[in-house]
Amino acid sequence: MDTAIVTEQLAKAYTRRKRKEGFWPGLRAYFSLENEVVSAVSELSFRIERGESVGLIGENGAGKSTTVKMLTGILVPSSGRVETLGIVPHADRRRLSQSIGVVFGQKPQILWDIPARDSFQLLKAMYRVPEDVFRFTYTEAVERLELGDFLDTPVRLLSLGQRMRCDLAASLLHAPAIAFLDEPTIGLDVLVKERVREHLIEMRRRFGTTIVLTTHDLKDISATCERLLVLDRGRLLYDGSRHGFEERYAAGRTLLVTLDATVDESARARLEHDLAGEELELDWSVPRHLRVQLVRSASTPRVTASVLRHLAVVDLAVQGAELDAIVTRLYRNGKAQA
Amino acid sequence: MSALPRPTLRQLVHGFVVLAQKTVQTRLTYRLATLVSLLASVASYGVFLLVWLAIYRENPRPGPLSRDEMLAYLIAAFLVNSLLITSVELRFGHRLRMGLIAGDLLRPLGFLMFQMAQGVGDVLANLVYVLPLFAAGYGFAGSAILPASAAAAALTLLSVALGFLIAFGVSYLIVQAAFVLQSGYGIMFLRASLHQVFSGLSAPLVMFPPTLRGAAECLPFHHEIETPARIWLGLVPLEDAPRLLAWQAAWGVGLIVAGELIFSAVMRRHQIQGG
Repeated sequence: MDTAIVTEQLAKAYTRRKRKEGFWPGLRAYFSLENEVVSAVSELSFRIERGESVGLIGENGAGKSTTVKMLTGILVPSSGRVETLGIVPHADRRRLSQSIGVVFGQKPQILWDIPARDSFQLLKAMYRVPEDVFRFTYTEAVERLELGDFLDTPVRLLSLGQRMRCDLAASLLHAPAIAFLDEPTIGLDVLVKERVREHLIEMRRRFGTTIVLTTHDLKDISATCERLLVLDRGRLLYDGSRHGFEERYAAGRTLLVTLDATVDESARARLEHDLAGEELELDWSVPRHLRVQLVRSASTPRVTASVLRHLAVVDLAVQGAELDAIVTRLYRNGKAQA
Repeated sequence: MSALPRPTLRQLVHGFVVLAQKTVQTRLTYRLATLVSLLASVASYGVFLLVWLAIYRENPRPGPLSRDEMLAYLIAAFLVNSLLITSVELRFGHRLRMGLIAGDLLRPLGFLMFQMAQGVGDVLANLVYVLPLFAAGYGFAGSAILPASAAAAALTLLSVALGFLIAFGVSYLIVQAAFVLQSGYGIMFLRASLHQVFSGLSAPLVMFPPTLRGAAECLPFHHEIETPARIWLGLVPLEDAPRLLAWQAAWGVGLIVAGELIFSAVMRRHQIQGG
């Protein structure tokens, strides 16, 4: 497989004026020449092969957007090496732009004052899209993303969701070799998100598009990406398969139990005694509900049997280690502990 | 990894033309607002004309131009200026502050051609208003505002095109300054002031005191407005026109090349606002 993107020890640091809290310190800082260097990304090394679909995730300020900007060539790295489709992006950005598609969430790239249909025609001309490719990408976008009703409405009159759909369609019209999608589903409702994911999958299937997806909606990742790059404060915390990530960071499963009546102390004591040897946490905080957090080594069948034996259960569900839950815990607890 | 294809010149020209067309379409969206701005500009320029007419009443020969020549010149200068006004700086300033230029930097036309195509679109959109203004000017000043000859008219077309290159070149430099300063508004006001005085919009350079005229001749602004207006009206002997056109071309190309060099340097250290 050809390599789409390669980075080695990639870093980006900004210099900015040192700011101080409060009115007078802030005013003094305004006239001061004191600067500070902020490291946005450091020691980033990874390789993405052509046709891969990679989710780039991390907390706000983790360096995701900075990374995407360096990969597309609109930011010059402070140090390290980056190649996208075989060229150094910032050295030959214009040539690269022909073969990539980019969505920056909430920053519309289609023309504001004219209908999306006109912007699509403009992009067709600018990107020199062959007629047969355009016919497919245009039709696929209009149908899959349901753009038909507002194609002739000036973009400034569209809702956020409609605009986002048009922006996504615009970024993929020329069937780019790589699509960099920074929050492409922001502001979309659940059904439209689903259609966006289907559109990405279809574009990838048809054109072998490499997808680099930055999002806070991990369902986007679950639906479209096999591989994850997890950034934490500008550094690569994890690079590997999504499945591997779930294996590595998942703490186990959760048993959600709805009880017939409030549990009396003796039943509770019997259950806790029975489960004394298992690695788990029992949460009784919600009346008539029990939440059992099982650590990896705990036996789900044994714990379930014990719960059913000691308590009057109305309903019981076993929740798997979903990506959302893992990442949420990762962010909340601090990465070192994960 | 395979080498990416380079676009042909024909493909680039096609993209450029379509972007210019779409910019015309965009500019003509706000018809009423544009018309009101134009009327405001006509009104303020009308005051200029009245001031000059008053000066000529007091002193029938304040400089080398007669009253009728001056009137025709001021109208011609106003028309050239109205034609060459673009939104390159304003558009860029807005997009810079909102972090929207990230997308503009990723267009296969390249940043320079992307901006220039929009500038050309602005000029084409201006024609919609400049042609009726020309008719109104004819109604006001009569045949004095018609071209001196067919050759003068043809040379003026070339001169206006080169005037656009200069106007765009200056705007492109301001765009670079805006990149560095993270906002272009202050420098845009400076440019507007310099342009107002030194472009020949308020008066031809021959009416300036010698020192001010010497300063104006060292700057590019008068080649945007004054040179095409003088060629149009025959205030320049035809045999002198090629020399002026060569100056215009040199300024236009020089400003754009300088802008591109600064752009390369700026891109190495700039930041795109917003995540």
